[in-house]
Amino acid sequence: MNSHLKAVPRKQPHPKERVLRIDRLSKGFHTAAGYLPVLDGMSFQVEQGELIAILGRSGCGKSTLLKIVAGFISPGSGKVLLNERPVLGPGPDRCVIFQEDALFPWLTVGENITFGLKGKKISKKQKTAEMHRFLNLVGLSEFRDYLPRELSGGMKQRVALARVLILRPEVLLMDEPFGSLDAQSREEMQNLLLSLWKELSHTILFVTHDVNEAVVLADRILLMDKNPGRIREEVWVDLPRPRKRENSAFLNISKRLSRGLRI
Amino acid sequence: MRPEGRRTESSTGWFLPWAIPCLFISLWWAVTATGVMPAYLLPHPIDIAETGYVYIFGKPEGGLYGGRFVSDAGASLLRVGCGFSLAVAVGLPLGVLSGRLWFMRKLMSTSVNALRAVPGITWLPLALVWFGIGMKTTIFLVALAAFFPVYLNAAAGAGQVNPRLLQAGAMMGVRRLRGTFAILLPGAMSHLMAGLRLGLGISWAYLVLGELTGVHNGLGAVIMDARMLGRIDMIVVGIIVIAVIGRTSDHLLQAGMRCCFKSARRMI
Repeated sequence: MNSHLKAVPRKQPHPKERVLRIDRLSKGFHTAAGYLPVLDGMSFQVEQGELIAILGRSGCGKSTLLKIVAGFISPGSGKVLLNERPVLGPGPDRCVIFQEDALFPWLTVGENITFGLKGKKISKKQKTAEMHRFLNLVGLSEFRDYLPRELSGGMKQRVALARVLILRPEVLLMDEPFGSLDAQSREEMQNLLLSLWKELSHTILFVTHDVNEAVVLADRILLMDKNPGRIREEVWVDLPRPRKRENSAFLNISKRLSRGLRI
Repeated sequence: MRPEGRRTESSTGWFLPWAIPCLFISLWWAVTATGVMPAYLLPHPIDIAETGYVYIFGKPEGGLYGGRFVSDAGASLLRVGCGFSLAVAVGLPLGVLSGRLWFMRKLMSTSVNALRAVPGITWLPLALVWFGIGMKTTIFLVALAAFFPVYLNAAAGAGQVNPRLLQAGAMMGVRRLRGTFAILLPGAMSHLMAGLRLGLGISWAYLVLGELTGVHNGLGAVIMDARMLGRIDMIVVGIIVIAVIGRTSDHLLQAGMRCCFKSARRMI
């Protein structure tokens, strides 16, 4: 597997290059009970190759934030800038891994992975080579001809990862992607994500409500307030990877975050 | 490389679809052989088989219905084919649009639901006045009847496609036109298929209605003709022929869809 990892061209990040800028973003929805503010003046920046976790309780607007960055919904006010250009709609430079599986059920694993390549000007041979490379990368080379319904939850999320990584997005947006997996698969997926991140040096925005998940993965954790959603605290996690959950520094950070979530 | 997705049938599974027809024929045999049903109400299965044979293959001395099967079935197939294709050509795109676009849905709702309530037979007198006896009237009736199941199921199918799939397509850079063919239609396939099958089934029903009005060929015409002449055996043969052709066309429709579309092959 290692040889395949090396085969993927790395992006050479300039240190401290800013990829994503969220600028005074606000969003609310009109409901039967009146106007409901969801996000209130959120601002933060993401640097190239950074893995940021957005941690908050359910209903704090973290998924809404991700949908705005993805371009699925428009911001109420404020803006989202990708490489200083405003985000106007969904596109392959910002790919989303959804919480529930959003694979095309009528396509095999291999066809799902190459779906985004159709219509691009690359040869069939190249497409097949790319498919095999990314199948290997997520450890599913045996399962190329399976249909999604024949896969476990963890395997489906691997396919979801592969089908967007193949498009080489600028930013990977992950919306509680491992939330519905059992504890073992979740840990496996976290490890897989970290190894892929190390190899491909993607920029990742990872939304979660799980404190330990945030601390295991992230360089930086944005703790979100609820009603309305805004950033309460920014926590830098300066622990070496792989991070051990029994480590006292790990425990300190997660305790602090848990306390923050409870307020 | 891939395990079979569907549950495999047991070795006796092939017989199950034929169990009820076999039972039915045995019962038929019993009531005619014992004389519970006199022959002028229901002829013996052997007599029916003979009439059917003559109808299909003809016989040297001719006879009223001898060997007419090919021209009748051909005429009926053509009418059903034209009417059903017309219904699909109009109903499927309109249905998919109504399932996705609220103004199409609003625009169509009153008309479709009002017309749907009108029984097909009500159109017959009007169609006769407009199109005369024969081909055009039958095609009109078939197309009108098949339109509603095709349209309604396409609308329901297009409306219930998982929005995540469309979002996933959008983020992977899929434009609207390709999204329609690569995501929307496959995602709605089980509904589209149900609509097509229902539409084709009802096409056969309205074919007979259209052919009852005095055309000289077609399966419905044969049945009507046989009624006038009191040929009960020929009526029964006509019914069986329509049942067999209807079932076969449904099979062919499914096989054709499976052959052409991955989504039909792998999801239904």
